[in-house]
Amino acid sequence: MSINETSAAPGVVDRDQQQARRLRNRLRYDAIQFAIIALAIALVGVLAYCVKEGLAAKGIKFSFAFLANTAGFDISEGKTLSFGEEILPVFEAFTSDRTNGAAFVTGIFNTAKVAVLAIVFSTILGTLFGVGRLSTNWVVRNLCFWIVEFVRNTPLLIQLVFWYFAVVLQFPPLASAAKWYGGVIISQQGLHFPSLSWAGDGSPISIALATATWLAFAGAVFDPVGKMRRACMIALAVMIGVLLATDMLSVDYPVASRFQASGGTSLSPEMAALLLAIVVNSACYIAEIVRGAIDALPKGQWEAAGSLGLSRRDTISDIILPQVFRVVLPSFGNQYISLTKNTALGIAIGYPDLFNIYGTVANQTGHSLEGIVIVMASYLLLSWTISAVVSFADRRLNVVGAKR
Amino acid sequence: MIAYAFKWSRHNLFAKPFDALLSLIVIPGTLWLIYSALAWAFTTAQWDIIPQSMRVLMIGIFPADQVWRAWTAVGIIGALLGAALGCVFSFRVHHAFILAVPPLALAVSGQGMEVSGPAALVVAILGCGWALTSYVPLARKVLLPASFTGFISIFAVMAPPGVGLWGGLLLSILLTLVTAVLSLPIGILLAFGRRSRFSSVRVICTGYIEIMRSLPLILVVYWIWILMPVLATGWNLADVARGMIGFTIFYSAYVAEYVRSGLQAVPQGQTEAARSLGMSEFDINRSIVLPQALRVVVPPLVGNVLDIFNAAPLVFIIGLTDFLRAGQMILANPQYGDRTYEVYSFLLLTYFLAGSMITYAARKLEAHMAVGSR
Repeated sequence: MSINETSAAPGVVDRDQQQARRLRNRLRYDAIQFAIIALAIALVGVLAYCVKEGLAAKGIKFSFAFLANTAGFDISEGKTLSFGEEILPVFEAFTSDRTNGAAFVTGIFNTAKVAVLAIVFSTILGTLFGVGRLSTNWVVRNLCFWIVEFVRNTPLLIQLVFWYFAVVLQFPPLASAAKWYGGVIISQQGLHFPSLSWAGDGSPISIALATATWLAFAGAVFDPVGKMRRACMIALAVMIGVLLATDMLSVDYPVASRFQASGGTSLSPEMAALLLAIVVNSACYIAEIVRGAIDALPKGQWEAAGSLGLSRRDTISDIILPQVFRVVLPSFGNQYISLTKNTALGIAIGYPDLFNIYGTVANQTGHSLEGIVIVMASYLLLSWTISAVVSFADRRLNVVGAKR
Repeated sequence: MIAYAFKWSRHNLFAKPFDALLSLIVIPGTLWLIYSALAWAFTTAQWDIIPQSMRVLMIGIFPADQVWRAWTAVGIIGALLGAALGCVFSFRVHHAFILAVPPLALAVSGQGMEVSGPAALVVAILGCGWALTSYVPLARKVLLPASFTGFISIFAVMAPPGVGLWGGLLLSILLTLVTAVLSLPIGILLAFGRRSRFSSVRVICTGYIEIMRSLPLILVVYWIWILMPVLATGWNLADVARGMIGFTIFYSAYVAEYVRSGLQAVPQGQTEAARSLGMSEFDINRSIVLPQALRVVVPPLVGNVLDIFNAAPLVFIIGLTDFLRAGQMILANPQYGDRTYEVYSFLLLTYFLAGSMITYAARKLEAHMAVGSR
């Protein structure tokens, strides 16, 4: 409703009278608006004053200077940005002689690390569960239903604690660790995987090879031209073969000694448990989204695909899922945001995420309020980044002419 | 019979080669998992830890001689729950048998009369409330003031030994109730604020909702917990109350979004018709728009209650002994040895049962609300 709408009196309307009424309405609206803004500012002012007094009573001054002070504590895992002589900042392990600000960066890095991995894996697992709930196979259908139902009806925190104390910490100790084919080591000290490591020198040939590999990879993933995906994949495979043959790229297998494993990529027990808990939990919510979207598709799509002679599997992968992904992207975005927020639960098992590191810094310096501002801003930034990426993807997928 | 079973499995398990392969992998795996879980539950597991530490799990460190207070609170909750149930489902005789299961289970599991007796009483009260609102229409009219009085009495009866002593599953339930009840009016106000004529109100409410929704609950709770003493020095609010405030502040934003979706579902014509009758904006919202909006969003709001209940263990961050923490406290007791799986299974199963009941109620409510709406 517009504010200028006034119910005109029947019959002849005096032009001046009408204008006066409009002016009166507008003035009243502005006055109320002004009063509300003044009230809000006064409220914030009172709050700020109370906080200032409260802090003064404790002998703390509100300032962000503590960020530049030496942290004096260690973080069990994670990297931070270091601005050294190089032009670009480099990633380095956090050490206790770094600043509090660097500790926050480590926290954001750790949170983002878990969030990105969890987003990828929970999307895959969730789609599988969602499709599984509509499977023609009775056992698969019911199994997926009960897993989803169980996970959605129990608290994530208890699931997380269960994964950590009852699963990950019950793995065999490293001395007798289970070793899988391919060099994966599973132990109480964490999971160790083989990883690829780059051994190329700075020579033009190696740089050219690396660039070509990245281009092939990007082409295979994003496929800008269309119909180039297969060629790019073949090119990527050839490039990797060449790199492996020339020893520029080598596979780094983890090696276990009695007390520690080295080499390869490793997941700490805390990170493994947090990742497991969040992936399984989010996957169940994503499964519900996927199932809902599949259910909402017109039955005609299944029937048309069936009458064309497509098998159920081809129907799902070529007809149903592509349409479903257009519909579910916004819901997925919400789920990704809540997944990212859920990483804060890592504090329950001692994973050094942003919230955990904030707690340590606040305890050591007493600057809990300033820290809260930073943590809030970081989470807002993460949420907005995710929703921006999702809505970008949404716009790309929902191109004109592909309307539902 | 065998022919039927054969046909059924042919159709449901081995319809296609891929299905058959899936069945051959999944069925033995599932059977093996179920078998090993059952074998563990009936042979290795030492369940005696659960009945022995039932009091800690249920009410935390609440003093033993004050247990009657907790039972009274549970009785009031039971009566209100039963009364609420009665408004949706009519009480039938077979419900009485279902209700009798928990006290019987308690008695069989070796709990003495001091536990099974009050439990039976609570269940009886619940049944009475249920039957009352199912068959006496007048009882539904007084439900709102009755629940208001009920909430006050729960606090009155639970507070004297010290609010800081609340714990266990009861703390989770009380926290859920308080949050669900308090966040509703705040959420409704925020939802209306987000659609206000005044852009300043709109901006403030939208900002509040969006910021709250992009922060983790655990952060909000912790934040309120540390901010309270700074804001009001000398006014020492109990941890439980601070936790409840944090939960309410957080969940109001979610309730506001649910209510807003309900407000949007009310057809424009309703407002226009009311306006042409000469009703004031306030009256339109209060007696025309809000009732219709709330009717639509009752099922999602029940789902929200489940979310609150599932988030309740997060109060560990401010040092409260909720259900999960009580379980961990028991596990930390060296006297019991390693009973990790027993305790966690109990916690997970309890939560699963409670959560399933809430989801079931939400689903039923949705069907109930849909009847007669169009």
